[in-house]
Amino acid sequence: MSDEKERAELLAALHAAGAASEEDEQELQALLDADPSLQGVVRDFQDSIAALASSFEPLETSSKTLGQIQKKIAREKGGLLGTLRRWFSKS
Amino acid sequence: MMTEARPNDPADLVAAMAAGDSGSPLSEFYALYASTVLALLMKMLGSRAEAEEILQEVFVELWRRAPQYDSSRGSVVAWVVTVARSRALDALRARTRRHGDAQLQFFSQRHGLGTDGGRPDVLVSSTRWHQALRQAFQRLSEDQRSVLELSYFLGMSHGQIAEALNLPVGTVKSRILAGMRALRTMLPIIHRSMRV
Repeated sequence: MSDEKERAELLAALHAAGAASEEDEQELQALLDADPSLQGVVRDFQDSIAALASSFEPLETSSKTLGQIQKKIAREKGGLLGTLRRWFSKS
Repeated sequence: MMTEARPNDPADLVAAMAAGDSGSPLSEFYALYASTVLALLMKMLGSRAEAEEILQEVFVELWRRAPQYDSSRGSVVAWVVTVARSRALDALRARTRRHGDAQLQFFSQRHGLGTDGGRPDVLVSSTRWHQALRQAFQRLSEDQRSVLELSYFLGMSHGQIAEALNLPVGTVKSRILAGMRALRTMLPIIHRSMRV
């Protein structure tokens, strides 16, 4: 593996693990801009850490929660955010 | 015309939500991920009431951000987990501002990746996916697991982890990379179990 790819892999790992500094993030972005194929490395790491985070024993949610979420969204849809969302989805 | 989603196809559900549908697609999406997100929030926050509150915020945000979801940048579950983690970290930071830096100890007392932590409120039966993943994550070394827990679940940078564990920054980075590589080798298991 080239030094550049090794460096990109390290930065992608730090990024996916949430441990990257601002400088690391900027360096990773520059490497991704130069070689978009590196996005696959980032994606694999992100999928891996997401699997770790979703591996906990699932918990049953309250039966009321979905209704409360839908009420909040209904309020947003009727408000300024909803208008902006419709406007952006058309443009 | 509203996009019609096929049942249990996460990307189609996100597309329908992006089109503004907060009915059936959102309900299906919620049914797919809510129990997993709640478990993550409980692990990170340790409080059922707070986790339930943040769960609502997470799903409202997922609905709001659905138009920006880009499948080329990651899977739907990775997107869901990223948003949930981010909201949980916000809550942890707010707690730290209120109560000082006691969260590290709180976290270490309560966490146990690869286990159910012996929690009495585990109500949803474990799926094959979760069982396979937990077995796979047992393959991480203790050193790898601890740096990943501190970075991912507490939002600590490599510098902060080095300070907390009294290790050189280079060692922390190496352990994170080794842990992430080990996790990546489990991707075939992950992808296979996601199709179950």
